[in-house]
Amino acid sequence: MQTIVEVNSVEKSYGQTQVIHDCSFEIQEGEIYGLFGINGAGKTTLMKMILGLQQIDHGSIYVFGQEVSRSRAYLSNVGSVIETPVFYEHFSASELLAMHLCYMKKKANIAEVLQLVGLEDVKQKPIAKYSLGMKQRLGLARAIIHRPKLLLLDEPLNGLDPIAITEMRALMKKLTENGMAILLSSHIIEEIKHTADRAGILSGGYIKQEFSVAEKVSEYGEKFENYVIDNMRRT
Amino acid sequence: MNLYRLEMKKMRFSAYLWAISGIFASLLALGILFLFIFQMEKGESGSPEEVELFANWNGLFALTTALAFACFSVFSAVIAAKVVVSEYCGKNAVILLSYPVERTAILETKCLLVCGITTISAFISNIFVVGIMYAAAHIGGIVPQMTTEHFVLVVLSSSILMGISSSAVGIISAAFGWKKRSVIVTIVCSLIIVCVLTNFITVSPGNIMWVMLAISTGFVVIANVIYSVLANGIEKMEV
Repeated sequence: MQTIVEVNSVEKSYGQTQVIHDCSFEIQEGEIYGLFGINGAGKTTLMKMILGLQQIDHGSIYVFGQEVSRSRAYLSNVGSVIETPVFYEHFSASELLAMHLCYMKKKANIAEVLQLVGLEDVKQKPIAKYSLGMKQRLGLARAIIHRPKLLLLDEPLNGLDPIAITEMRALMKKLTENGMAILLSSHIIEEIKHTADRAGILSGGYIKQEFSVAEKVSEYGEKFENYVIDNMRRT
Repeated sequence: MNLYRLEMKKMRFSAYLWAISGIFASLLALGILFLFIFQMEKGESGSPEEVELFANWNGLFALTTALAFACFSVFSAVIAAKVVVSEYCGKNAVILLSYPVERTAILETKCLLVCGITTISAFISNIFVVGIMYAAAHIGGIVPQMTTEHFVLVVLSSSILMGISSSAVGIISAAFGWKKRSVIVTIVCSLIIVCVLTNFITVSPGNIMWVMLAISTGFVVIANVIYSVLANGIEKMEV
């Protein structure tokens, strides 16, 4: 199995505050890696460093074997939903995705992707008229339309109703069947439990524990949440 | 060319066309009013010095050019605020900087769009305003005609230089807006520049072409330096 992302001893500070300390992990092809941590743990910062949106103070990040600080070419195979997705709201979903494909220099079937995220009926409507959940789904559509090999999802289930959450989890599983790797960040244990194959607990800027979710769920059963919380508190 | 098309699509060009039409209509209305000022003042108290500027085409052209410079400089700053400042300093920056396209290429496209739209619209607007004023004066026999080729050359060259200066003001203002991460600072900055510089355009109406050449050369140099600083900064920009 190919290593898609390799994070090696990464450190990041904002002024005097160090937010990421000696952080290392890998994501393999076809895997959903859950990055779990409370708000402010550094999940978004790590994702932004993978996207080259934040400079790395120490260490290195490789995506598809390319060091992120040296090239931007790898970004054509990366999709992302970072924080609350933002759009040009005068566009319709179809127009937005068409524009995104132009920037990505790729071609795809827009109608097919909109159907996949359940927005085919409103594809001509201006995005300004979308609900929060619809915007979240459109953000995912934008992230996957160019068939990336790596998908970064920062709290992707925010604002979604229970049915949409179930559909989104199924969609993520389906995407990995084609070899896509997903880095999913969340502060909700249930989200990691139901979606991720492996997970890392990010606390105080460190990856405190890495584990196979299925193994730990079968080992701890109902007490899986306690296991995660105990590891977060561990110094 | 693809980047230009994409950026044009994002900025909703039709809204700016309305703004250009509004500026043109206002400048034309003021220009027509200028034609009558000298006539009215002359009739009452001879030929006062204060209205000398309205007595000949050099003065009238300098006035309309100064007004057009002021309007299109602010217009340029508004576009730059929308296309550059709010894009890079707002939430769209995350997606904009995640594209596998050179960051400087996108910034360059945006800046050239701001300059291109401003220069072309300012040039065309000024030419038409002066042209319509000239035709109106000819029909009404208001201001003495000046049918020299030299005047046409002055109008054409000064108008294009005015357009270039206005677009440079937009880029300079955008740099200040970028630094403060504020659309409002961008527009206020352009207003300050306009307030200070517009008066210089009417200082020597007979030499307006040289005045505009000096102003535009200065602004283009400053705008280029500022663009280089922004382009260097954007490569390491964090969002």
